Amino acid sequence: MNDPFKNLKSSMEKSIFKDFSFSNERKNAVREAIRTNQQSQFHTETIIAILESVQHESRDGYNISIQLFQKNERTFQKNEGQLYTLLHLLENKEMLTSNWINNKKYYSLNSKGKRYLATYKQDITKQGLSLNPFITEASL
Amino acid sequence: MNELNQLAVTDEMMLDEREQIIDQLMREYSDDILHLVYTYVKNRTIAEDLTQEIFIKCYEKLNQFNQQSTIKTWAYRIASNHCKDYLRSWHYRKITLSNKVFDHLPSKSKQVEEEVIKHSEENSLTNAVMNLPLKYREVVFLHYYEELSLKEISKITSVNINTLKTRLKRAKELIKDKMIEEV
Repeated sequence: MNDPFKNLKSSMEKSIFKDFSFSNERKNAVREAIRTNQQSQFHTETIIAILESVQHESRDGYNISIQLFQKNERTFQKNEGQLYTLLHLLENKEMLTSNWINNKKYYSLNSKGKRYLATYKQDITKQGLSLNPFITEASL
Repeated sequence: MNELNQLAVTDEMMLDEREQIIDQLMREYSDDILHLVYTYVKNRTIAEDLTQEIFIKCYEKLNQFNQQSTIKTWAYRIASNHCKDYLRSWHYRKITLSNKVFDHLPSKSKQVEEEVIKHSEENSLTNAVMNLPLKYREVVFLHYYEELSLKEISKITSVNINTLKTRLKRAKELIKDKMIEEV
């Protein structure tokens, strides 16, 4: 008996799949979604650097960016806007609190942020200054 | 701490690499995956939306790809599962299905294009396959259209090879009955 599905591929190509392909607009939409997704992901070190920069005194965004620069943390170089996104995120996660003084928003560490920073430092000591285990865990 | 860990990602290079892999996947398989999705959902716009979501999902899950299968098989598996999730979803069952009921009301005329396709002699095979129950449609499509081996199909659908063979055999019987009926 011959195979009834022998011509399925050509039959489908000529009917339901005629002029039906994944368009460039759709592909670009995927790329765009991926980029947005990338931008919302930050390194652990970056987060720690921000928390450290405000642990002793509250600072505004501009001062935080200078602190990061001095620490050689270049994530936000030429992309300063992202710093404010991350600050906002950390504020939402209640790692940071903020105060408006003279039209500037000053960030400082709150208790959850302090705990996070302390745990992080403890982990480093335990692991003999090796960041790798933490980072591997963080990327999972 | 977990919520913050999720925000953190290790390696910048890794991100670029992941984006390139998805780009390549789209270049090589996007039409095949789109067509696969269509056989599950039978609607072009929904198939396009779901395919878009599938590639984003591939990107997110890329670090879970363990090289045990080819990336193609892996992507197909994500696609197949994503479609099945969709067909089980609240949205599909409540909204899409009730819209379908309206489609069948006699007052609403169907799109001409659809009508033409339906009546074309040549496409009776396609229509017969599209009207098979999902478990047969799936294996027939993957085997005859996507030209995958039963071993690959087994990896994609998590169905035993012998079960797949039985389904193919049963699908052939169903199709033959259908064709005889039409003649």
